[in-house]
Amino acid sequence: MLTTPPEVEIALAESAPSAGFWRESWRRFCRRRLALVALAFVVALMAIAAAAPFIAGTKPIICKYKGHIYFPALGYYNRAWENPIFAKDRFRGRYAGTLAEKDPDSWAIFPLVYQDPYRRVRAGEWPDQPENPFGKEGVPSRYNWFGTNPQGFDVFASMVHGAQTAVSVGFVSMGIAAAIGITLGALAGYFGGWIDVLISRVIEVVMCIPSLVLILALVAMLDKVSNVHLMVIVGCTGWTGIARLTRAEFMKLKQLEFVSAARAMGAGASRVMFIHILRNALAPVLVPITFGIADAILIESGLSFLGFGASPPNPSWGTLLSAGRRSIEETWWLIVFPGAAIFLTVLAYNLIGEGLQEATDPRLRQDAH
Amino acid sequence: MTSYLIRRLGIGVITLLLITFLVYGLVRNIPGTPFTSDMAQMNPSKMMSPEAVEKLNRLYGLDKPWYQAYFYWMSNVVRGDFGVSYSRNNKPVGTLILERMPATLLLSSTSLVLAYLLSVPIGLWSSARADSVSERSVSTLLYMLYSLPAFVAALYLQLLFYVKLDWLPLYGMTSDDYATLSTSGKAWDLLKHATLPVICFTYGSLAFYSRFIRANMQEVLRQDYIRTARAKGVAPRTIIWKHAFRNTLIPFVTLVGLSLPGLFSGAVILEQIFSWPGMGRLYFESIGQRDYNVIMGLTLMFSMLTLAGQLLADILYAVVDPRVTYN
Repeated sequence: MLTTPPEVEIALAESAPSAGFWRESWRRFCRRRLALVALAFVVALMAIAAAAPFIAGTKPIICKYKGHIYFPALGYYNRAWENPIFAKDRFRGRYAGTLAEKDPDSWAIFPLVYQDPYRRVRAGEWPDQPENPFGKEGVPSRYNWFGTNPQGFDVFASMVHGAQTAVSVGFVSMGIAAAIGITLGALAGYFGGWIDVLISRVIEVVMCIPSLVLILALVAMLDKVSNVHLMVIVGCTGWTGIARLTRAEFMKLKQLEFVSAARAMGAGASRVMFIHILRNALAPVLVPITFGIADAILIESGLSFLGFGASPPNPSWGTLLSAGRRSIEETWWLIVFPGAAIFLTVLAYNLIGEGLQEATDPRLRQDAH
Repeated sequence: MTSYLIRRLGIGVITLLLITFLVYGLVRNIPGTPFTSDMAQMNPSKMMSPEAVEKLNRLYGLDKPWYQAYFYWMSNVVRGDFGVSYSRNNKPVGTLILERMPATLLLSSTSLVLAYLLSVPIGLWSSARADSVSERSVSTLLYMLYSLPAFVAALYLQLLFYVKLDWLPLYGMTSDDYATLSTSGKAWDLLKHATLPVICFTYGSLAFYSRFIRANMQEVLRQDYIRTARAKGVAPRTIIWKHAFRNTLIPFVTLVGLSLPGLFSGAVILEQIFSWPGMGRLYFESIGQRDYNVIMGLTLMFSMLTLAGQLLADILYAVVDPRVTYN
């Protein structure tokens, strides 16, 4: 290693403004190669989830039909975004042949993989592509990369669209949990007294109810479960760890001088809590949130696996797994690929969480000097 | 200490009341009752007439609003009566849970013992060989195991050992011809059936415990008294075992208390996958059948164990660490 003369080092330190907390943490985070790989994986997963209809689908990304440009693939995000003209002209979701048939001058750009998570692709829909096999014939092939499910739906397409479920459930439910947990924890830690006693008791009660008991009971109460329901339920049961940590951080920070200074300058309670203290308490709170995202994905896929997840037709990795379990002797591909996806995603979030912990917690710094 | 215990127990009772009240309200508000949900779905002709349902509801006190019914249930529980299971020929809930308990205990206690027995050597080995290539690969493997969801692991193991190799049975606790087997045959049969569930129960906590031990050991090994011991020439083995490990026991012991509730719960998904006739499966079935008394009995038991585990952890903490006192 190169040694810099001491005077040069001092000069450098004086000239550059010292790195802020977040930049310093990011630098430390970057030193952990595994955490960086995990972060790249999660970013890639989010990109796949966001662009799912452009990766696998049977609706054109963009097409020209009767003199107008349309984007039928948007229909995968929301039914209403698919232009009604295609329903009026009786396309019935089959664009590949129908477009040319109804308008010879039309053109279209299709997704990378011509497969659909919601239906079986039939023979003759796409040039040189045979009908999707079903049942135990649906082994992975060059047309169905990850095989097909018992009804002949493509597993790769289901998994790409299922990434939307995994990513959104993880983020939204932890967003809800963080909002509840940070607010309650902040109130308990900042005010103390009977508010603290009350909130701590609530936290303890929610912690003591086995989470699966609570979640199964809540899901069973609903008639038709949607992903939004799942997010809310997972969020409303997963906030206790965040609340406890926020409470402890607030109790510690509220005694520091900068809080007294802010108060002396006339800042109100909510300003002190959410602008002054929370900024300083955010780093340790981010760690349980990251682990919580992994947990939320685990709970969602577990519920779908048990048949308590979102009602069909909803592509979820857990739903694929449960179909694989029903015919475990024949359809290994329904278990291996979705299982690996769940595992890798949970692993990635755990690695990021640990990287964050080491980067932001000064006690864990290995190179403390 | 006594006043601390009394205060904790008092708080625990209030917490239990709140939990059971909440869960009772929840399960009573699940659509359908034990007498309408299941049979109607299976066979419409078997559907009971509204009058019959009405009569049964009155008989079991289900015609009252749930907050009133809760107090009936609670006062019965205090007198030791947990009610009967509606969907299992009015079998008392206590008997039903006791019947299912051994199956769950067989899995969870085996896996708990295995996890502790294996995690201590692994944790100590990895802290002694810190940063060597073999230690890093073992630690990475353990970290991956820690992140591997149990239901995914269960399915992968079933694929490998049942579908591919055909060594182990797919599910259940015993074979069909179990009754005709000799004693050693019965034990072998049970062992074969329990292998996969026990592995799935064990690996997660094994990974967690050994990482926990390693983290604590690293903390302790940095202390001055370890350097002193090294300087005066104590053998490395003695340093690890006597000087360092004994001092990591304090946080480790509290883990024992916190893993107590896991002995009984935490098995819902795995028991479902392996069709293991334990309490987790009972719970799952009872939710589907709206069997309120069974759900409540199990919830009460799980919550009591969680609270008892936390209390035990705190008490053990004071027992093993003389610096900790509760006054």
